[in-house]
Amino acid sequence: MQCSKCGNPKVIIKREQSGQLLCKDCFIESIEKKVIKTVKKEKLLDKGDKVLVALSGGKDSVTTLEILNSFRERNIIDICAVTVDEGIDNYRQDGVDIAIRHAQRLGIEHKVVSLKEDYGITLDEIMQRDNHKGSCTYCGVFRRTIINKAAREMGATKIATGHNLDDEVQAIMMNYLEGNTDNLTKLGARTESRAKEFTVKIKPLREIPEREIGLYVVAKDLEVHFDSCPYAMQSFRGEVSEVINQLAEKHPTIKYSTLRGYDKIKNVLKNELEKEYSHGRCSRCGEPSANELCKACSFLEELGL
Amino acid sequence: MTFILKYKDINEERVIPKSNYTIKDLLDELGISAQTTVSKQNGELVIEDTVIEDGDEIQLVQIIYGG
Repeated sequence: MQCSKCGNPKVIIKREQSGQLLCKDCFIESIEKKVIKTVKKEKLLDKGDKVLVALSGGKDSVTTLEILNSFRERNIIDICAVTVDEGIDNYRQDGVDIAIRHAQRLGIEHKVVSLKEDYGITLDEIMQRDNHKGSCTYCGVFRRTIINKAAREMGATKIATGHNLDDEVQAIMMNYLEGNTDNLTKLGARTESRAKEFTVKIKPLREIPEREIGLYVVAKDLEVHFDSCPYAMQSFRGEVSEVINQLAEKHPTIKYSTLRGYDKIKNVLKNELEKEYSHGRCSRCGEPSANELCKACSFLEELGL
Repeated sequence: MTFILKYKDINEERVIPKSNYTIKDLLDELGISAQTTVSKQNGELVIEDTVIEDGDEIQLVQIIYGG
């Protein structure tokens, strides 16, 4: 058994989807090349961009930072980072500390924003309430708002998130299964809003399987926070992920084919189904909002804050 | 014929139960999916088809958590 590219007998991965065998160096190179290819193909970066990396300290965001940094080293872009502390006891602090160390190592501008400081409540405290809507609902909305605000404050022209192939395929299937055609029009490698206050979002790892990102950080000895969010098992996403992974065991190309299929119909979906939102302002915080209150503020009102 | 298994809080000596006993066999025995872990043999990353040898240190690193 040897590396399909260089013949090295020390193979670290057998790609079931292609049968390819790779040694450590060729694997690392293949991941970095593939991400750079996605960046070019999807036109994710423009020269002079300041990219805000949403940096949790987990494998996906650390890999995003590591590979985008190669564009910074070549003076194509500038990078800054933001870490959101949701207030999840015995979970988040390790990730925050790791994110701080990566930002220091690379010498990039970095800020940590906590839900407690911004909204006066932690995710743990929200979950103590009887009438809560589920952890991921609040976490997703508050995190998005905080990251959008940070992008404006730091002068970022793009927001890069660590969404990988598995995340994207789960989102496609979840939205389809729920009949959420509106959300289905909003996926993709690059998403932008008509409201100019919302910075363009990019997903450089969109074509990399989650396991390969895990292998990449271990192969490169990158410090990351490997742990489970204590609220993760409550999610529909977890159930969908399990089904897709079961299917992938016998059908190893299924994640790629789901993604490719979606990419082929995406423009048709957008043209046929994209909703025209009114572009007002949230009466409470002033952020762009289709309704009287933005989603974050409507949650805050419900929580009596 | 034994090997050392390191996985989360586990650090124990185990007997190699048969010839050509692979890391995949070990994962199956422990009920761990190869999709959620990467494996190291004596500190070096390897694939799950790797045969465990006498005196090996096998470390399993969980890289994917539920949700």
